[in-house]
Amino acid sequence: MRTIFKIAWRNIWRNRLRSLVVIGSIVLGIWSGIFVGAFSFGMNTQRTKSTIKNNISHLQIHHKKWAKEHKLNYWIEDPKSIENYLTNSKAVKHFSSRILINGMVASAHKTAGVQITGINPEQEAQLTDLASKIDSGNYISDKGKNSILIGEALAEKMKVKPGSKVVITFTDSEGNIISSAFKIRGFFNVTSSTLEKSMVYVRNSDLEKLLNRTESAHEFALLLNNEDQVEAFQDELQQHFPNYSVQTWKEVAPELAYADDMMSTMLYIIIGIIILALSFGIVNTMLMAVLERKKELGMLMGIGMSKTRIFLMILFETLLLSLCGGPLGVILSYASIALSHQTGIDLSFFGAGLQSLGIDSVIYPEVMTSFYFGTGGLVVVMAIISSIWPARRALKMNPVEAIRTI
Amino acid sequence: MSTVIETRNLERTYQDGDNIIKAVDGINLKVEKGEFTAIVGPSGSGKTTLLNLIGGLDKPTSGEVYVDGQEIGKLSDNEMINFRMQHIGFVFQAYNLIPVLTAKENVEFIMLLQKWEKAKREERSAQLLKEVGLGDRLDKKPGELSGGQQQRVAVARALASRPAFVLADEPTANLDSHSTANLLDIMARLNKEENITFVFATHDQRVIDRARRVITVEDGKIKSDITSTSV
Repeated sequence: MRTIFKIAWRNIWRNRLRSLVVIGSIVLGIWSGIFVGAFSFGMNTQRTKSTIKNNISHLQIHHKKWAKEHKLNYWIEDPKSIENYLTNSKAVKHFSSRILINGMVASAHKTAGVQITGINPEQEAQLTDLASKIDSGNYISDKGKNSILIGEALAEKMKVKPGSKVVITFTDSEGNIISSAFKIRGFFNVTSSTLEKSMVYVRNSDLEKLLNRTESAHEFALLLNNEDQVEAFQDELQQHFPNYSVQTWKEVAPELAYADDMMSTMLYIIIGIIILALSFGIVNTMLMAVLERKKELGMLMGIGMSKTRIFLMILFETLLLSLCGGPLGVILSYASIALSHQTGIDLSFFGAGLQSLGIDSVIYPEVMTSFYFGTGGLVVVMAIISSIWPARRALKMNPVEAIRTI
Repeated sequence: MSTVIETRNLERTYQDGDNIIKAVDGINLKVEKGEFTAIVGPSGSGKTTLLNLIGGLDKPTSGEVYVDGQEIGKLSDNEMINFRMQHIGFVFQAYNLIPVLTAKENVEFIMLLQKWEKAKREERSAQLLKEVGLGDRLDKKPGELSGGQQQRVAVARALASRPAFVLADEPTANLDSHSTANLLDIMARLNKEENITFVFATHDQRVIDRARRVITVEDGKIKSDITSTSV
């Protein structure tokens, strides 16, 4: 067995260039597959993280019917008790209560439909990055009357500056039209330009005045200290506040969670296709190697090498060829992913396009460890399958071929 | 003297379209131990087919082939391969050696397949290579040896497993006259000193001149069978 293995190994290196090309293509194929995978995963994780951080948080609490319809009068009835509970819970990192109203914002130039989000500036600054995303002007504070933050993209569209006045308009639950002038304190600039165009932020207290209410909230959004506890804390909250709906980020934005699952399926398909293509290359090379050694194989059979041994020899050759490239490809992928995960890949060149998708322009590739093993396993399976054909072909050789060279 | 090869009414036919070609047509032949015999004949005479049948590389349509008293025509493919390994030494015209192994490893190869001990293998391969005049070339690969030297390694390998006889198919076809003479000298010496049986299939007059028995085959039949006493 050892001799067969030795011969097989040396046979690979008889045509050094050809073997190196095959091994190189395996390395490149696997590397590109895994790296593209890691890149997409990284992009996805980034998107999920930034959406959680900037927008939906880990958990949200609403009126039971809110999910069906965002009606103005689906208020959370006793926001104070929730606020107390969240303030005292150790699992909660930050939370914020919000009033959410669909309305219009109008400047002298333009009117736009927006979601008017009433916030508690202090809470919101802790929960989301909003305060740090102010590009020009200032974040809203407790001081001053009727302050508003609008997105940079919307500001551009409406041709307004910090300090300009805009009018917000909405209907209350009785159908009365309410409108009021607000002073722009600043522009926020977040990764998603859709978000910039469709959201404006005002203070809860200003909206409460317009609606003649106090202590009101449509939504509580909260971040936990440990994101693995999202489901557990959801259950806890739901038990405590059975009259409200408590949703995880996965339930609020199912497309984000779904993207993760879909991505890994897609990646396995891509890797599968790459490996299938590689296996054709390997089969082709090995068939060539078998056919050009027709006479040598005939001689081996002639002098008494059994068919099993010939089969094993070709099997080993194919396996060795594939298994030289496979681990190298995986190692190369691991190294390049580890490196680029540290440094990040700056795509600010395409930044504008990515931002509209809600993705930061620096991507940190990452991939689950299982993915390396999965790919490694696929390569081994591929190697075994693609070795069978050339090895069987070798068995069809006739020892007489070797003698008939006269 | 014992009979090494015997054929009885040996026939081998091929189907070529509607025609049946008799490549070997009822050959009866005996080769005794220690012979130095050449089978000659033009292309298409059936010489190669006869050699394949004797060497267990092909199976007869009818008739029998005995090697060392054992009928080999009815062995299965794998039994046949095993039989060749144990009883027959081959020297082919070309593609004789395993190119990735050194001369020594090539000679050891069959002993390895026969599961000899390492020390014995090494001793015998070194000794055989010395006998064919390549004692200083043990670790060279075939590509580093001349054609004549390669054929000498092939002879050493053919002898390694102590076969009943050595079957050499045009062993000199690719060699110059100096190498041919050298190779034939070695084989003649092994034949004489160690009583090793050689059977050649050849066109080469230089080989025919050295053979003690010349069997001429034509149209699948033995046309003449001449044993010379001098040489």
